[in-house]
Amino acid sequence: MIVWGRYTCLYLVVSLFGFYELTARALPDSIVRKDSIQETRAKVEQEEPKQFFDATYERLLDKADRSYRLGMYKRAGKFYKEAAVINPSSKFIQFRLREIENRNNDLRSVLFYFDFKKPDVLIKSLIFLVIYFIVSMLIILVIILTHRNKMESVEKKKQILREKYQNLLVDFLFSTENASNVPAEIKKIAMSPFNRKILIDQMIDLSINLSGETKDRLRRLFFALRLEKDSIQKVYSRKWHIKVKGFHELAFMDIVEANDQIIKCLHSKNNIVRMEAQLAMVKLGHSDSFGFLDHLRKPFTLWEQLTVYETIMFHNLPIPRFDKWLYSKNKTVILFALRMIEVFKQRESYSNLFWMLVNEDPDIRNMTIKTIGNLKIRDALPHLKRLYKNETYENCLAIIQAFIKMPDESMLNFLKLVIDKEEDVQLQIEAAMAIYTMGETGINALQKMIESDYKNYQIIIKHVLDKRIT
Amino acid sequence: MDFVVDLIQFVVNHFIFLLTIILFTVYVLLAVVSAVALHWYLRKNSYVDYNSIILAPLTPSVSIIAPAYNEEKFIVDNIRGLLSLYYNNFEVIVVNDGSKDKTFAKIIEAYDLEKVNYYFDYQIPCERIRGVYKSKNRSFKRLTVIDKVNGGKSDALNAGINISKNELICSIDVDSIMEADALLKMVKPFMEQTDKKVIGTGGVIRIANSCEIEGGQIARIRLPDKFLPRVQVLEYTRAFLMARMAWGKMNGLLIISGALGMFDKEIVIKCGGYSTSTVGEDMELVVRMRRYMAKQKEKYKVVYIPDPLVWTEVPSTIKVLGRQRNRWTRGTIETLIMHKSLMFNPKYGILGMLSYPFWMLFEWFAPVVESIGIIYFIILAVFGQPNWSFFFLLLAFVYTFAISMSTWAVLFEEMTFHKYKQKREVLKLILTGILEPIFFHPLTVYWSMRGNIDYLRGIRSWGKMDREGFQGKRVYKH
Repeated sequence: MIVWGRYTCLYLVVSLFGFYELTARALPDSIVRKDSIQETRAKVEQEEPKQFFDATYERLLDKADRSYRLGMYKRAGKFYKEAAVINPSSKFIQFRLREIENRNNDLRSVLFYFDFKKPDVLIKSLIFLVIYFIVSMLIILVIILTHRNKMESVEKKKQILREKYQNLLVDFLFSTENASNVPAEIKKIAMSPFNRKILIDQMIDLSINLSGETKDRLRRLFFALRLEKDSIQKVYSRKWHIKVKGFHELAFMDIVEANDQIIKCLHSKNNIVRMEAQLAMVKLGHSDSFGFLDHLRKPFTLWEQLTVYETIMFHNLPIPRFDKWLYSKNKTVILFALRMIEVFKQRESYSNLFWMLVNEDPDIRNMTIKTIGNLKIRDALPHLKRLYKNETYENCLAIIQAFIKMPDESMLNFLKLVIDKEEDVQLQIEAAMAIYTMGETGINALQKMIESDYKNYQIIIKHVLDKRIT
Repeated sequence: MDFVVDLIQFVVNHFIFLLTIILFTVYVLLAVVSAVALHWYLRKNSYVDYNSIILAPLTPSVSIIAPAYNEEKFIVDNIRGLLSLYYNNFEVIVVNDGSKDKTFAKIIEAYDLEKVNYYFDYQIPCERIRGVYKSKNRSFKRLTVIDKVNGGKSDALNAGINISKNELICSIDVDSIMEADALLKMVKPFMEQTDKKVIGTGGVIRIANSCEIEGGQIARIRLPDKFLPRVQVLEYTRAFLMARMAWGKMNGLLIISGALGMFDKEIVIKCGGYSTSTVGEDMELVVRMRRYMAKQKEKYKVVYIPDPLVWTEVPSTIKVLGRQRNRWTRGTIETLIMHKSLMFNPKYGILGMLSYPFWMLFEWFAPVVESIGIIYFIILAVFGQPNWSFFFLLLAFVYTFAISMSTWAVLFEEMTFHKYKQKREVLKLILTGILEPIFFHPLTVYWSMRGNIDYLRGIRSWGKMDREGFQGKRVYKH
């Protein structure tokens, strides 16, 4: 990653300006003739009195002009000289001869070969760009090839070191020696910054699969080598990606010394820093792991919620009662709390869930209905039935789906009514499914509906009864 | 009369030149924005462990919809590839769009399918669905197969949407090979949405010609042996890594490739699904969804993912490639004309003020202007006296710019995903970039002009797509 982002911009800007300056200097002041032959001739004729010569003179002059135009300067010079014999006082001929002589003396004259007849700045710019593109291409080619070599050799070196360090660490972790006696070889590794980085990465990798006494031994080694200072230093870095790496390392090694700095990042504008700080706090916050939820102003995205959930599961962290966040001012925090109540089956939160059914926000109501359904809170069935009439389509669907998860024969008539009155196919199918899950009573009811002459429910009920579909 | 001639000459001379300069400047700016966006994306995602979320309970549900038409040779393997993707909450809907070969019979046999009593609503109009099939084997419970009357790719996708039960739909060409973690990567932006609703995500399409395929997955990545597919590697790299990435960053993306795209199903249904009246249904859907969101005054975004998500076989003969480019041109024209009210319409924000005019000027008009320029130059060369010196200078400028952009594209690839491991392959790509403006570009201009002419003649068909296949001969017709 050597020329990305700002480096690319910098490269473009610096090289464009710098290179233009160089090209401008290298090119002659004027790379195009300021006047064409006709213009020069007209100017000179204006200055000198009009004289008439014979056809031979005119023919010689024409030949000379044509040769000059085609860039055959030697030939042009020959004809101009012959014409000069007939008319030695012609300023035009003298001008041309001088020009040809200057051209031959000038190494840069190759450019005069072209008659661009365009503004000087345009031609200069175009020539500059052509050279720039070619040079750029060559530079990029060199970058690609050297980058590839460098990448391959660094990767090879890293791989060797990784294997070596892993063996050393495993030997140390499972040896009977005192944990404070760090082997000289590991100490030596920790002397070089490059090696320390690889050592830290290796220790983090190992810590993922360790627990108990062995993990504690690894942690003590981390401190003994003073690697925690590297991690804390990273947290204070101004570069966000280094900061995030620091969060990771501290979280895995359970180092709380930089918690104040991590807390400051909980409201960072940078989404990734914010998210990683949250994850680090979940791991390192101990008594107040989820305290950040109390003050979260920015939306707590589903992705962030998922990573927090994964962190809880991965580190086997204590799970708080999530219903205390059901009254948060942040809608996304409420949604998270509802999800966690469902995932961790927090039955003690049931009573609070009922209040959420009358929340103003339809998304919160939707999530509450789903949570109630998944937790099978049967006491909520009458409430859900009552809500159905005035709910949004999505919430009506969620209510019927909740009925599928909590089959109750007392809802039979209500569900029949849904099939009868609703026009939406999905609602009809879900209602029929809810009847089906009631068992024998439900199946009998569906059979009767199939036979009914009132409406043709056959397709819907056949769909529901077909076990291969679900 | 002289005045008129002078005027035409002036306009032609300066308009083409100015357009070229603007086009080149835009390309450079897009490349710079892409570089910044790529840098940010790679850093950001270097901390993501996708494997840890495969089984997470909070992930949204996805329906993969794969239309199939005369795919008998590889359909069984390709479905197996789709069923083995890393994700916990998805279904695969294969739509047999009235295949004339044994595609349907092979699926039935391989996956032990039987017709089920599936009740659904034609929320989006599509040709008659003859039946919905599920497997008797519970290990294939994720698979649903629809058998329907032929109606084209868009129609098949609409049928799949009607059957889909999930929140997100993922459209894919059934002959493409998806990366195993593609769904995880495509779902992530939907899960990251904040105040802006994510309505669609698209990713990078990679070229699978000459690659080694095993068990429906790419086993070894190789640069195509033939010149035409190889030149398309460069084209795709330029388009995906140097342009679409930038449009994605600016939220101005106008197209998500038909080979792989994920959409919010609710919005797709509200917009009426894929249009069957255009051959550029992928672009048209994105434009229509964006228009819909703008009309609803809802904040939204279309996200672009630079990771290689799907591998596809590209045409390797001039004839087939010509048909494909012809169709792309017609699809672009049809979409642009269908949504002409977007042009410089501030109501639609970046869509109306930047994306649409860009496509109009540089995707539709640029080849037309280029053709006019060539014809004008030929007339000038025959009857007039062109400024040869200036002509050669301009030619050198355009040529070196083109090869320079290709080299940057190779660098982008090298610094990001680094898929071609051998140095020889990189050098081959650079060499291809040097040859491309001479041998390939004139053809693309010609095909584009043919597309314009065919559009004017009212041709609306897809054209036959003969494919060599990853492991032999393959035929794809539509």
